[in-house]
Amino acid sequence: MKQTLRKFIFEELIFVTDPAQYNDDENLLEAGLDSMGIMRLIMFIEEQFNIILPDNEIEPDNVQSINALTQWILKHQ
Amino acid sequence: MMQENADILKPLNPADAFTLAMDDEIRREGMPGSLCGFALVLNTAPDIGLLKARIQEFITKFPLATASLQQHGRRFYWCARNKQRAIFLQHACPPTDSEQAFHQTKLQEILNRQEPRESVSPLEFHLLDGTHRQVFLLRWIHPFCDARGADLILKYLCTDDTSQRHLFNTAEITPLVNQQLAKFSFWQKIRLFFKAKQHIENIDKLQSILPLENCRKAPEKLSYISKRLNTIQTQRIAANVRRHVGLTGTSLYYLGCMMRALQKLQPQQLGDAYCVPYAFNLRKSKALSPVLGNHVGAMFAQAPRELVQNRERLFKHLKQQNIKSIREQLDYAFLPLMWAGSWLSLEKYGKTLRQSYSSGSERSSFWFSDIGQPDLSGHTFMGAEIIDLIHLCQISSPPGLALLSCQFQGRLTLSYNFIEPLLNADWIEELHTLMVQELLAE
Repeated sequence: MKQTLRKFIFEELIFVTDPAQYNDDENLLEAGLDSMGIMRLIMFIEEQFNIILPDNEIEPDNVQSINALTQWILKHQ
Repeated sequence: MMQENADILKPLNPADAFTLAMDDEIRREGMPGSLCGFALVLNTAPDIGLLKARIQEFITKFPLATASLQQHGRRFYWCARNKQRAIFLQHACPPTDSEQAFHQTKLQEILNRQEPRESVSPLEFHLLDGTHRQVFLLRWIHPFCDARGADLILKYLCTDDTSQRHLFNTAEITPLVNQQLAKFSFWQKIRLFFKAKQHIENIDKLQSILPLENCRKAPEKLSYISKRLNTIQTQRIAANVRRHVGLTGTSLYYLGCMMRALQKLQPQQLGDAYCVPYAFNLRKSKALSPVLGNHVGAMFAQAPRELVQNRERLFKHLKQQNIKSIREQLDYAFLPLMWAGSWLSLEKYGKTLRQSYSSGSERSSFWFSDIGQPDLSGHTFMGAEIIDLIHLCQISSPPGLALLSCQFQGRLTLSYNFIEPLLNADWIEELHTLMVQELLAE
């Protein structure tokens, strides 16, 4: 799951020369993930993992890192 | 895929991507894609020399009109063509044919012509000859422009004052979806996105009633029946509009009447509610610029079957739904959804737009567009009097049915576009009879 998320985020949403230097706890918002990126990420997650993410749970704590996203997804699987 | 060295003229904007996804859906059904048309029925031949010169001037000023739509990576672009093709075509009526039948057959033939996306002309002008009547057709393809853009193109052709024609332009501006989105903060955009998603999820709780439920035939061709009501009928309908929904809700009145007509025609059809996408326009009203490109998105009007059976409650419901959409900024809420959707593959985006999240069935009971009063001042076209106007568009199947309305010379015109053999002319005639009863009911 983390690899799938990492691949999408660093190939589609955040463009950095060396994605490997960003670990799974790295703050994605600080790394350049913007609100439009979050929307695309949510659409990707819902389709890829066949889940619905509730809008009242969209908050920085759930989207700020790959680990936080993973926890959020697992909660709804 | 894009040809080598192709000159990119313009990328598609998020609203273009929305209409391109529907073009792709129609093509997947073996149909020609999202071709649309305005046909002006003329009482005599227009000034051909002037018409040709004006068209030539138009395509010189707007090279996009002869461009080719090509895919580069996962995005789509308008690109310059290596070889230009004629976009003004004349068709002579054989002396043995009935003029009216010839015009109808030819219009359908043009709207049903199959061409790959990369080669189809974004815009074509056709003149269908006749002794008693002539028909001038402006045929465009989504995503080249929307109906408002097509109206502006006609206005351009009809504008005799050169300085006024110079006012039409396609100034390089940020796409309006992006412009509007830029007004919202980081978290506001996300909240809007979820608001739109939630709206769609609520709509999807009710399964849509479709006109084609039991039909398993493959779509073969687009057909149309255009009906023009008289001035007295149109005035009575305007009075009904004021009484039930107010003048700002004219489209809602037509929509509600169509829902009721369908319900009377097919009372046993499966489903819970009629659900109809209708266009909202992001562009400033009457703006001359930009002429080309789409600036529309879709909203939904939905009414459960039990409400459709009660006229008073239905119109009250549709009006309240519309007020709520504006109050809660649902039109703005669809912008981030359209923006995010433009990054999906056409296949995924098409499914997202058409199919219910919960059941996977088709969401639209029929397509609907009301273009209001076309901007054809003087009611003449290149020296000929315009005596009727027909509005055409390809549709996905299901629903295989579109109602396109406008008011011209004080008379309401209803163009029923339908896909054969899924629906047929007899069925449409029955539907229209019921529709007129509904429109005129006290």
